[in-house]
Amino acid sequence: MRTFGELWRSTILTKWVMAITGVLIVLFLLGHLSGNLLVFVGEEAMNEYGVWLRSLGHGTLLWVVRLGLVAIFVLHIVSAIRLSAKNRAARPVSYARTESRKSTVASRTMLLSGLLILAYGVYHLAHFTWGLTNPDFYNQTDALGRHDVYHMVIASFREPLIVVTYLLAMVLTGLHLNHAISSAMQTLGVSHPKYVTIIRRLGVGLSIAIAVGFSSVPLGVVAGIVK
Amino acid sequence: MRLRLHIWRQAGPDAQGMLKTYDLDNVSEHMSFLEMLDVLNEQLMEKGEEPVAFDHDCREGICGTCGMVINGRPHGPLARTTACQLHMRTFKDGDEIYIEPWRATAFPVVRDLVVDRSSFDRIIQKGGFISVNTGNAQDGNAIPISKTDADRAMDAAACIGCGACVAACPNASAMLFTAAKIGHLASLPQGQAERFSRATNMVLQMDAEGFGSCTNHYECEAACPKGISAEWIAAMNRDFAKAAITSRD
Repeated sequence: MRTFGELWRSTILTKWVMAITGVLIVLFLLGHLSGNLLVFVGEEAMNEYGVWLRSLGHGTLLWVVRLGLVAIFVLHIVSAIRLSAKNRAARPVSYARTESRKSTVASRTMLLSGLLILAYGVYHLAHFTWGLTNPDFYNQTDALGRHDVYHMVIASFREPLIVVTYLLAMVLTGLHLNHAISSAMQTLGVSHPKYVTIIRRLGVGLSIAIAVGFSSVPLGVVAGIVK
Repeated sequence: MRLRLHIWRQAGPDAQGMLKTYDLDNVSEHMSFLEMLDVLNEQLMEKGEEPVAFDHDCREGICGTCGMVINGRPHGPLARTTACQLHMRTFKDGDEIYIEPWRATAFPVVRDLVVDRSSFDRIIQKGGFISVNTGNAQDGNAIPISKTDADRAMDAAACIGCGACVAACPNASAMLFTAAKIGHLASLPQGQAERFSRATNMVLQMDAEGFGSCTNHYECEAACPKGISAEWIAAMNRDFAKAAITSRD
């Protein structure tokens, strides 16, 4: 009998790790997005949501989720780097000419888009979670003495450079997910002629919806819908 | 027609290779691609040069021996066509054609366009067979198999092991080949006894040979001369994971 430790190193199980962590990241993004969209409801909803998130399980649940997310991202990134290294080693001499037939810009740039999203993610945490890059925007309190998430977001997205960086990151996220979602389903063995086309279309649709959904917040601020 | 050919020339496995340019005149549109290379080789030999080495056998698209990357596509521009079944009428006068060997660590170049595909044989040796004697034709027919299952098994069994999937894959992955071989036997009752040990052993051998992993570009199914679907890869992913979690073999 082969132990799980032996099989763990196989490309297929490493891909399963990529796919499962990827699905969890998409679920996280949907949860994150649902919170962000509260900015369109107003200051009260947004700041109240911030207090609620931090109070879950007397403040412990947020940390459980945060540590879980760190584990998920580390597994996703480590697996990606291991597989990419193996893939590069598998073709040491490249072709003088290549003509692709089915691969897409998204599928061919997964490592690059992923690493750029990672770099943006660190900056994003420094900006909105740690309050390092724009402490003036971060250290605001509303009339009820709550952390003023609402005005932090608006003040941030009145800076053109922050808006442009954010939108670029969302384009990259959309591109990454464009290939990632249906790709994860294929890796997890979810494929059948009855629904393979639907899954691929849903994957593309969901990737666009997530990118557009997140982009709507800075665009809403720029357009003056959110003030 | 007149062609300019850029062909990979490499004297041996450890020799430094390079693309060499040859001008070839009076190519008939009725020639197959390999016949065109035969004509080139005759001319090279008359000049006292080494002919271009390439693999070929049946020349009717069923053996999987021939294979070269033609203008960036394994077996050339036509879908579901091996290099030997590609005819020069696909090209036009004055075309430049790049001809390269399959590129993969697991397919080392032997000479010119010839690569060593014994890594595929070693994957098959790890379980691409049924150990139990299935008996004579009559005994085989005694096992009821639905038409759907028989057709599906045949779809996967159509794999001729040419290696175009590996050549087309940006990661030089052998997932389509391995999946077709595993899936062919997994579709039939006779293949059930060894189904999960087969999936495990063949995939681990595939990894050990130095093929890349699958990132779902689907270039393989587009390049496959037998039109084998990447759906088989999903089926293999299922079987391998199931074996990893539940198998006692």
